[in-house]
Amino acid sequence: MGDILCDASSFISLTESCMEKVIYFLTEKHHVRFIIPRGVEDEMVHRPLSTKYKTHGFSALRIKHMIKKGVITSVDTSNVKERANEILRITNNLLFARGKPIKLVHYGEAEMIALAEFLRIKALLIDERTTRMLIETPFTIKKHLEKEFNVHIMMNKKHLKEFSNITSGMYAIRSSELIILAYEKGFFDHFDNMKKDLLEAALKDAKFSGCAIRFDEIEDYIKSIK
Amino acid sequence: MFNFLIWHMAKNEKKIPLGFKNDIFAVLSAFKKQDQRKLRKLNDKFIEDAVIDFRKSIYEMAVISYVLGKIASKPRFSSKRYGKKFREITGALSRAAKSVSKNDERVILEHLKEVEKSVSSLEKKDERYLTGLISKGRLKVAAIMYAQGVSLGVASSVTGIDKQEIMDYAGKTMMFDRVKEEKSIRERMKKARKLIGG
Repeated sequence: MGDILCDASSFISLTESCMEKVIYFLTEKHHVRFIIPRGVEDEMVHRPLSTKYKTHGFSALRIKHMIKKGVITSVDTSNVKERANEILRITNNLLFARGKPIKLVHYGEAEMIALAEFLRIKALLIDERTTRMLIETPFTIKKHLEKEFNVHIMMNKKHLKEFSNITSGMYAIRSSELIILAYEKGFFDHFDNMKKDLLEAALKDAKFSGCAIRFDEIEDYIKSIK
Repeated sequence: MFNFLIWHMAKNEKKIPLGFKNDIFAVLSAFKKQDQRKLRKLNDKFIEDAVIDFRKSIYEMAVISYVLGKIASKPRFSSKRYGKKFREITGALSRAAKSVSKNDERVILEHLKEVEKSVSSLEKKDERYLTGLISKGRLKVAAIMYAQGVSLGVASSVTGIDKQEIMDYAGKTMMFDRVKEEKSIRERMKKARKLIGG
């Protein structure tokens, strides 16, 4: 059984592209355990259902159903609050522009990393680009900011080291990889010879719903399928 | 050196940037001239400033400059029937610029709120869309902030726009295609397969 800690962005892409069935599939057939911090449940379920027009109510109810069925496990995060604040302090004092620290990360994102560390979960499901890049390749986000603003970005090496130690061994995947994983395990098999096209369409749908994947990555994977 | 920078930064934390007043006046002048290009440039500047050193008033100016650019681009708004509303907008904007000298964010925000109210009432004269110009501006600014490098959580919390809305907007742009990440999809798949013991 593999545990994966998920953030709100991945559930947004999966539910908005109507691909949340891959979560049921991977849980039931491959015993993957999907875990979310309680804050994500509040954000994805309780808040949308409490608004006047329930704009995102359809997605919220489907996530609520997954939690109810035990397909997603929502965990309490009160014991990582202090650590999350510490991670927040580190990440938001990591990159400096014009002598000022750039507020890169929000509490919820820091809390997810703190929870992964506490639960010793290595796999993170994140569609959101910035936090994922910070974990994987912090220099890429530095370069990106420099290109965007045409200014020199300073990096606090001490904080970078601290952050790298915290996230050491963690790896991030996106909802797109989850969809591909499900494909490889037969999720689209009932579509017979259309399954490759279906996969491509599903990946593009996830992208249009906000999953941070490039067109050339989709193309690259689709071409690799024999 | 680094500690000095942090100290310097903390010392200036409460101060409103010196150029902010001039930037608001520049928006006012560009709006009066219906100069969309200038308004777009100013919008870029406000967003950049908001990402690097977030302040509510800078963010509101990013939204306002975007919205005024949109208004300037629509010929129907240049007719005489909107004259009074135009004067309301420019008046409120001028008061906002003058209030920068007081170095009180709250006062500036009150004036900027007036600008937004005037824009909303301008739209009411000719309602065409369910989502107003101000809401569209907020979403656009939030998505640009996310594209420029802050996290989705930060973009959502500082702008008050739902993550779902930002992702929906961002997903239909080329923002993700503009940044080459160092990990390939094949490498990610190798990791993903670990989840199921592959």
